[in-house]
Amino acid sequence: MDKRVWAIGGGKGGTGKSFVAASLGLHLASLDRDVILVDADLGAPNLHTLLGLKAGHPDLGDFLTGAAPSLEAAAVETPFRGLRLIRGSENILFIANLPHFRKLRLLRQIRQLPTQNVILDLGTGSSFNTLDFFLSANPGIVVATPEPTAIENTYLFLKSCIMRVLKLYMDHYKIRDLHQKMLDQIEKNSQSIYGFFKSLMETDRSYGTILYRALRGFRPCLVMNKTRDEHDVLLGRSIADVARKYLLIDMKYLGAIPYDEDVHAALRRLSPYYPGHRDAAAARAIRQMSEELAYSIEFTLRTPPEIRLPDV
Amino acid sequence: MLKKIEDWNYYELLSVERTASRDEIWEGYQAALATYRDGSMALYGLVSEAERELVLGRIQEAFQTLRDPEKRRDYDLALLRHAPYFPPQAAFRKSIDRLEIEEAPPRISLWARIKRLFVKNP
Repeated sequence: MDKRVWAIGGGKGGTGKSFVAASLGLHLASLDRDVILVDADLGAPNLHTLLGLKAGHPDLGDFLTGAAPSLEAAAVETPFRGLRLIRGSENILFIANLPHFRKLRLLRQIRQLPTQNVILDLGTGSSFNTLDFFLSANPGIVVATPEPTAIENTYLFLKSCIMRVLKLYMDHYKIRDLHQKMLDQIEKNSQSIYGFFKSLMETDRSYGTILYRALRGFRPCLVMNKTRDEHDVLLGRSIADVARKYLLIDMKYLGAIPYDEDVHAALRRLSPYYPGHRDAAAARAIRQMSEELAYSIEFTLRTPPEIRLPDV
Repeated sequence: MLKKIEDWNYYELLSVERTASRDEIWEGYQAALATYRDGSMALYGLVSEAERELVLGRIQEAFQTLRDPEKRRDYDLALLRHAPYFPPQAAFRKSIDRLEIEEAPPRISLWARIKRLFVKNP
């Protein structure tokens, strides 16, 4: 089965991650695709509200505590054909501090869900849990808004992802002393990722190459939400370019979702935005970006732009 | 902080391929100007003011060179001498199951390996 795990994440709250996740799910389901939405916002789940559903059982917490035998058993039908939802847990204190083995079990079961599309709606921030969910998905979509606070947190989120990818590879290759060096250089001295790689290439080229390749495998996508003019739309392109140069990651700019007052109005009515506003500019934007990712292999096969190792 | 901005070549600065047309260079220049203009939000929290000015200066330099065919040819030759140009190759995540190092050599099956031992041109 051609399966895709989408993750919607980002550094700042209120950028519209859940809105994008819900709309994407509704759009894919409207194309007769089988979709399971997972509310993986462990701290503040509310994806069910965006779909017009009430909180209740079964939920993600039931799976984690063993009350539900499998993750699939925690999925509930929604009023929309083809779309199922795994609600976030109401037992927030328990679930937000997810132990490592439970996280691995959850990640494994997410991959095994019998559906074409799994969409993970992630929480705000850069906790290891959130980062691991984001990194395990392909595509991982970062949602930002055209505000300095959101952009600052977007870079922080991406930087945290990068550090996590590098740490996973360092653990795999048993080069843990390098991890301490990375923490010293990047976190304490605020040296750039580029600077870290440059010094690494000078001291240990083979490990530098391995880690650089690992980093190039991390290819997040960017969505600018709540854009009001063309400057906001172009800002996304600039961010992707800056991330490529300063964070050395190949980020794809998927596009912008225009600000729409009806999103807020739909939320107040407790009804999902997408089905009732299919001709609105925001819904068109969602459609366009999901189609680009869902139907083309261009995303996975695309050629990375030219950027070479620092000292080649 | 990025230390060595001079490591970026003109094409990287404008985010265009080395085979870019004049129009593509113009578009890349405009996009770069928008990214590195004074007060640009795209740099917020990541790039310092001094660094922004430095990059902006180099973007102007890059555009002045690449817009002129003769200067561009000389620059390309100098660039090729410094480092050969390989057109980018496809590299991708092969699965969602686990992180894989891209460009890993294709996995050879055991049977193919055994066959290789006995057959000259399998």
